Amino acid sequence: MELYARRRLVNIIVMTLSMAATAFGLVFLFLVLWTLLINGIGAISPALFAQNTPPPGSAGGLLNAIVGSLMMTAIATVIGTPTGILAGTFLAEYARGSWFGEVVRFVNDILLSAPSIIIGLFVYAVMVVRMGHFSAWAGAVALAIIVIPVVVRTTEDMLRLVPGALREAAVALGAPKWKMIVMVAYRAAMQGMLTGVLLAVARISGETAPLLFTALNNQFWSTDLNAPMANLPVVIFQFAMSPYADWQTLAWGGALLITAAILLLNISARMLAAWSSFRP
Amino acid sequence: MISPRAQLHPQQTRPLGSSDGGETPAPPPPSDPRITALRPLADGHRDIATSPVPPTKVDIRNINFFYGKSQALKNISLPLYDRRVTAFIGPSGCGKSTLLRILNRIYELYPGQSATGEVLLDGEDVLAPGLDLNRLRAKIGMVFQKPTPFPMTIRDNIAFGIRLYERLPQSELDERIESALRRAALWDEVKDKLRQSGLSLSGGQQQRLCIARAIAIEPEVLLLDEPASALDPISTQRIEELIAELKSDYCIAIVTHNMQQAARSSDYTAFLYLGELIEFDETERIFTHPKVRRTEDYITGRFG
Amino acid sequence: MATEAVAVSRTTAQRGVAAGVGDPIFRALTFAFALLVLLILGGVIISLVDGALPALRQFGFGFFVGTAWNPVTEHFGALAPIYGTLVTSAIAMLIGIPVAFGIALFITELSPVWLKRPLATMIELLAAIPSIIYGIWGLFVLAPFVQEYIEPPLINTMGNVPGIGLLFAGPPLGIGVLTAGFILAVMVLPFISSVMRDVFETVPAVLKESTYALGATTTEVAWGVVLPFTRIGVFGGILLGLGRALGETMAVTFVIGNSNHIQASILQPGTTISASLANEFTEAVGDLYLSSLIALGLILFMITFIVLAIAKLMLIELQRRAGG
Repeated sequence: MELYARRRLVNIIVMTLSMAATAFGLVFLFLVLWTLLINGIGAISPALFAQNTPPPGSAGGLLNAIVGSLMMTAIATVIGTPTGILAGTFLAEYARGSWFGEVVRFVNDILLSAPSIIIGLFVYAVMVVRMGHFSAWAGAVALAIIVIPVVVRTTEDMLRLVPGALREAAVALGAPKWKMIVMVAYRAAMQGMLTGVLLAVARISGETAPLLFTALNNQFWSTDLNAPMANLPVVIFQFAMSPYADWQTLAWGGALLITAAILLLNISARMLAAWSSFRP
Repeated sequence: MISPRAQLHPQQTRPLGSSDGGETPAPPPPSDPRITALRPLADGHRDIATSPVPPTKVDIRNINFFYGKSQALKNISLPLYDRRVTAFIGPSGCGKSTLLRILNRIYELYPGQSATGEVLLDGEDVLAPGLDLNRLRAKIGMVFQKPTPFPMTIRDNIAFGIRLYERLPQSELDERIESALRRAALWDEVKDKLRQSGLSLSGGQQQRLCIARAIAIEPEVLLLDEPASALDPISTQRIEELIAELKSDYCIAIVTHNMQQAARSSDYTAFLYLGELIEFDETERIFTHPKVRRTEDYITGRFG
Repeated sequence: MATEAVAVSRTTAQRGVAAGVGDPIFRALTFAFALLVLLILGGVIISLVDGALPALRQFGFGFFVGTAWNPVTEHFGALAPIYGTLVTSAIAMLIGIPVAFGIALFITELSPVWLKRPLATMIELLAAIPSIIYGIWGLFVLAPFVQEYIEPPLINTMGNVPGIGLLFAGPPLGIGVLTAGFILAVMVLPFISSVMRDVFETVPAVLKESTYALGATTTEVAWGVVLPFTRIGVFGGILLGLGRALGETMAVTFVIGNSNHIQASILQPGTTISASLANEFTEAVGDLYLSSLIALGLILFMITFIVLAIAKLMLIELQRRAGG
């Protein structure tokens, strides 16, 4: 085949395949969301938010699990975000080229990709065993450890993207380095950093594995952080794998709730970014 | 080649045509269109015959600069006069920006770059170790090639610098901001949108914002690193007009690769080539009767 | 206009500029938290090793190749979970990488501008969906579908090919290694694609434009300019995906069937390290059982660690070869 025609053919094939790939992704997205909606909507009722998890065969809701998840996610975010931002700032501002910075970056990347169940094991060994019991604190810490590397990475990446001229402009005005970082560089990188934090939060919202052996689960209402705490993901795991229909329905309801919350987080993040970023 | 030092004081320059090894050319006839075209407009500021030698604001002495092991500036000495504009010109890579960036020690942000020599600002050596850099930069302001508005409101852009040094009540702060924006010829265009982001302005406006930001902290010296090279011609013209106005309050050093701009805007010109100061003189003299062959070659465009 | 404004007061000499106490404090603060990151990893390694030692001492090297998993007789061997982990991840990568690349390519090069943002957002939403959602979807929707419409044809066609037919043998169950691998692919492709897309967009427009100006097709620009320019980021994205695939727990736990036997056919159930941990840890009785599970965790961690270390070394080598 003549060269030009062959090149065109290759191009068409590749382009078609890439379109197919995109369709593939979109199809599955909608499939999953649709299934979630269909199966979960039946469980959405006031009772879901008013009653605690029931034993099999009786009616109930997910209140304790919802509250438990909210509490642990909040604590994890509060612990993990400043930690991640500061560590990421160190990497971007004080450690470029230094071997220590390389090591921290390397370790951070490992933690980032580390299976969350391993984090759960770690916190189990360090906190649960020491304390002698499962607890919401342990669960929150495990989630925080998942938040930290994400925030470190995005913070460092976003700070590095801040143009050198902008930094120089701040320093040339006489700003000390920390002010340049906090008042100029952070602002320039704010959108990206915030997105990173929100992605981290959305990620831990659905994390089950690290909670399996830290916060465990709790059938009853409890806000005691020192005790096992109910949480949506583990409840869903338990209920969905069970043979009981009403538990399965509740599991779908919980799944729909988590997904809706995560989607809301994502959309809010984007809207916030679009509103507050100043695009020329 | 006449040593740069001998060129510092215009009254002391040797008469044209004197021998010094055959380096100096016979000056081209005044009617040469290439030279005449560069002759700056005659106005009060340019009446060199009557203006006295102004005080030296910044005295650059024996500056050598290194990027790691490689030497970028060789033994540069020249004065920057107060209330005057001094232009640094030369082909790409000659070291003019490097020289500018020594004056406020902004190069120290980057490891591996070092300078020797002295830069005396009002008699005090700027390169002295242990000098408070923030105080130095309060006195020497810088505007960069690419406009760099901070990701803040226009108002906050200006306030940022002011707040570094002073704690002012709101009304006084507002006055200072307005004053800076007026002096940068930007006030009328932004006075209704001070709370909009600095990034929402056009390129030329952003650069004037950066100038306003720099002068808001009331420096004594202004360093302009190719301030108009990223701008369209109309914005460039406005910037040049601005420089002419600002000159009466500051000592200005401007790096430019645009010779016409140097000829139009500056009082003194330093021509650098490959890290050396080839010639320093009053602008009108350099562009009409350059003393060094290489200067003349550059100005007439024989190389660029 | 220069003199119209308030007279400029030169008080710089008198102005007090606070000495930089802020700088050392801030630096120390950021340093401390960077150190914390190291300590966390150190802690993970130490606690895993510490917990795994009893089992490793008991079984020695046999642990890694043993296929028994018997809580009653307290004989534990990690081969089945390891095998399952590797195979499901391999399937996930085989499917996920090309699809992710296709998506990234489409979004950055082909898609009309108005469509880019929405598309990117939607693909990213795939990543936002948590593992457990994929898990129950997989169990209740995908597995039955696969069991009814995918596996029988596969068994009847590929299952009869000599050699690789072994991979496709057995009764169609729906759940199993293939399904798990497939779900992993769907879960992992948005990560890879998102990173690819981000780095593809860092390619300077000038570079692409000048190549297009030469008459290159989009494929050629992608292959010859974009990919080489972004290969480091692309590689990083792929490894991010692989790391997630290796350690993914919930989705896999739901659909892999949790069988501790190694079988050739990918249509059969199996188990992965994380699935075993998820299923058995809270009910493990006996120190040796617990220790064996932690040892599994240690192995998983080591595998992930090695994958990442190899990646980082390759990246350094690639950068070295490219001359910077």
